[in-house]
Amino acid sequence: MFKLIIEKELREIIGSTKFALTFGVCAVLILLTFYVGGRNYQVSHKQYEAAVAENLRQMEGLTDWMMLRNHRIFLPPQPLAALVTGVSNDIGRNVEVRGRGEVGAEDSRYGDDPIFAVFRFLDLDFVFQIVLSLFAILFAYDAINGEKERGTLRLSFANAVPRDKYILGKITGAFLALAIPLLIPILLGCIILPLLGVPMAGDDWTRLALVILTGFLYLGAFLTLSVFISALTQRSSSSFLLLLVVWIFAVLIVPRTSVLLAGRAVKVPSLDEHASQRARLAAQLWQEDRSKMAEFKPAEDIRENPEKMMNEFNTFMQKLGDEREQKMQALSTRLNEERRNREAVRERVAFGLARISPAAAFSLATTNLVGTSLDLKQHYRNAATDYQQTYAKFMKEKTGMLLGGFRVMAFRHTDGPEAKKEPINPREIPPFVYAAIPLKDVFGAALVDLGVLALFNLIFFVGAYAAFWRYDVR
Amino acid sequence: MLGILIQKELKSILLSPKFVATFATCALLILLSVFVGIQEYHAAVKQYDAAVQLVEQDLREASSWMGLNNKIYRRPDPMQIFVSGVNNDIGRLSSVNTFDTIKLRSSIYSTDTIFAVFRYIDFVFIVQVVLSLFAILFTYDAVNGEREAGTLQLTFSNAVPRAQYILAKFIGSWLGLVIPLLIPVMLGLLLVLFYRVPFAGGHWAQLSTLLGASILFFTFFMAFGILVSTLTRQSAVSFLVSLVAWIAFVLIIPRAGVMAASQFVSVPTVAEIEGKQDGFEKSQWEKHREDIQKKWREREAAMQGMSEKEREAYRDEHEWEWLEQDDKDRKQMQKDINAFTQQLQEEARNRKAEQQRLAFTLSRFSPASAYQLAALNLAGTDAGLKTRYEDATQSYRTAFNEYADKKQKASGGAGGFRIEINSNTGIKIGNDRDKGTLDLSDMPKFTPPEHTYAAAIAPTLVDLGLLGLFTLAAFAGAFVRFLRYDVR
Repeated sequence: MFKLIIEKELREIIGSTKFALTFGVCAVLILLTFYVGGRNYQVSHKQYEAAVAENLRQMEGLTDWMMLRNHRIFLPPQPLAALVTGVSNDIGRNVEVRGRGEVGAEDSRYGDDPIFAVFRFLDLDFVFQIVLSLFAILFAYDAINGEKERGTLRLSFANAVPRDKYILGKITGAFLALAIPLLIPILLGCIILPLLGVPMAGDDWTRLALVILTGFLYLGAFLTLSVFISALTQRSSSSFLLLLVVWIFAVLIVPRTSVLLAGRAVKVPSLDEHASQRARLAAQLWQEDRSKMAEFKPAEDIRENPEKMMNEFNTFMQKLGDEREQKMQALSTRLNEERRNREAVRERVAFGLARISPAAAFSLATTNLVGTSLDLKQHYRNAATDYQQTYAKFMKEKTGMLLGGFRVMAFRHTDGPEAKKEPINPREIPPFVYAAIPLKDVFGAALVDLGVLALFNLIFFVGAYAAFWRYDVR
Repeated sequence: MLGILIQKELKSILLSPKFVATFATCALLILLSVFVGIQEYHAAVKQYDAAVQLVEQDLREASSWMGLNNKIYRRPDPMQIFVSGVNNDIGRLSSVNTFDTIKLRSSIYSTDTIFAVFRYIDFVFIVQVVLSLFAILFTYDAVNGEREAGTLQLTFSNAVPRAQYILAKFIGSWLGLVIPLLIPVMLGLLLVLFYRVPFAGGHWAQLSTLLGASILFFTFFMAFGILVSTLTRQSAVSFLVSLVAWIAFVLIIPRAGVMAASQFVSVPTVAEIEGKQDGFEKSQWEKHREDIQKKWREREAAMQGMSEKEREAYRDEHEWEWLEQDDKDRKQMQKDINAFTQQLQEEARNRKAEQQRLAFTLSRFSPASAYQLAALNLAGTDAGLKTRYEDATQSYRTAFNEYADKKQKASGGAGGFRIEINSNTGIKIGNDRDKGTLDLSDMPKFTPPEHTYAAAIAPTLVDLGLLGLFTLAAFAGAFVRFLRYDVR
């Protein structure tokens, strides 16, 4: 019996013109998204390579490691980030590494190229969020009341059909009818990626599979919701209207509003204030050190030897610099921690509110899975900080000191031929290697939202079940 | 006759339960968007004032004219309440000093990234996405729905001219939908007044044009819905077709157009430009270093054969002149670097303009993009906001640096920080000449770029014209189709 109901539902959906049209549109959209994402990755990758090459080129011709300045590292584009962009275009990508001090990423893609910010990008997260939910609503808004209007519901129950089997069959049938055909363009899309030369690693495929799975959970949530509402109402036109309003709120309004609300409710100290505090401390420390420098006297016995004198001076400057750095670090750590704690509270409030909407839960889950969630910013920052230490170690080995971004010009007034120096090889600088947030970490973060989505499925299903149990089929 | 038909249409819209639900939703959303916008604007103004005050304080506490670091913040504009545009995406501030080039950095989305996760809600978003959907919802079955209900056949059994009928449909639904929507809009404007948002005359002009554009956009989707309903026999089909068109117009074409343009026109990134800039800067500094080294050697050579005392006297006599000369050289170099940077940025900007032209031309196939572009231009939160601010800051930088330079000369500081290592005297470190606070009373003030109504309206004319054209075409199509529509 159960199989028969599923079969009927499958036939009804797949045989309809509505299905042909919407499936065509969805398939085109999904394929377009994969294609555009792949091409977009290529463009970003080219830009990234150009930036790295230009960074090395600007150092060529230098003869002294001391002269090295403006060493920059960049956030490399991730293959999956083109499919689920998350915040990857909003956060700063370029970090100037000085060897000390705080790292700060600048130049987000949208800030650099605001024309992309006008309409933003087309990605899988967006297409799934809007299209899958509309798709589900369109096919299930009249699941119960439509059959009643047509009189087929009464007819079905003239036979010995158990209601629980009927509703379960309806939902399963509709889900299969929508999900399985959708797999076709998705799989085709997956084939497009390697064809476009997007280097997908083994890990990436797992992530993509999980994203698609999340998409189906999301589809299920809207499907069960539609059946639920159609079992609550008598007329299909009112259930459609109600669902459309719910859709607008769930997809477009609730996520945005909850973040803005949380932003107003939870105060986070502004970065301007922090920057000013840091600048003031830096200026103060510099003034103190200037007077210390003025009092510097080289040891009597090396007065005759400029090289030794220079060395001693360097050591002295290095010591001052290290002390300054330590004090700055202490302040920065305190300020950052303060800010990060407040940010965490804000995030919890914002996302807690937003999760009322399945669309928000879906978006949070997928961006987490791909590694383009809010955590990306901190993760990149940590990676850059780690790299800064590697770089500092390297520079110390090369020059014996860390200048921390100062411009030093050494003039020799005394005569004597200046030794012709060999140019440095910038390629000796250890390269920055970025590793995405590991899957096991992101899975933990995504689990909450996957759970929320599953919960939505369950609640709406139980709701549909209960409502249908008492539904007047006449 | 026309009057009766319009009346009938009005009644059927206003009395439907559909109207109550959608009107309530729209009203709520419009008010919500304006309210949120006002709150955000006030918060932004507060942040801006605090930041500017901090900069002033930091400047006052600075002790040397040489390293004087000014910061220019982008001033919030009340129009961002209705059209946030790229306001959150582009940088909020730029450093202004001798060395750094002008670059807007620390955008709201990059510093407070949480706001970027689900983006923003503003009036334009509501109109573009929600109102357009509702326009379709009310018109998709305008003609074929009546046919299905049998009322179309009934109507035309009387002597009703078809032209008048379709015109009345259009006017009736327009009045029935637009006029109620004006209520929450007016309430939103009252909110603006109530919260004392500083709206000047220009802002009101911009806002009323924006409202006009919004109504035009809404009208397009109504005309489009009617067109589709005259093209099809069944309302179920026309709804699906309209919905698919809506998805394409509102969600897909704008994005796809811009993304296609990025494929065709490649633009160097900031990172690439800065790399080039740094390379040039380094080579210039290196040249400068060599020049100065040569000069100092020549100066030393001139002192050959003098006694220690004579040397001291000679040095005292010439030191000032030497320093001035070195300083002049350094400034020349700085000028060269600036010129090179400007040229690089100019080139990149030209490429970007080309990309933008292509991107927006492709996107304009959708009325939704035309509307959004018009709205952004009107409010001044378009992609050009960045260049406008950068240009204004650039010219301010020139004035500011000249001022700081003049002041530094007057105070007699040599600038920089000189360490001398001499085999005779050991290491000598120059100390600051100027101590204590600076008098900044006559410092040049930054004037934010003005976005006048005249400047705002010019680029929107294309988009408004396009919107008008789209609407006209849709309506004409519906009109022609209906004249030959089989009413049975």
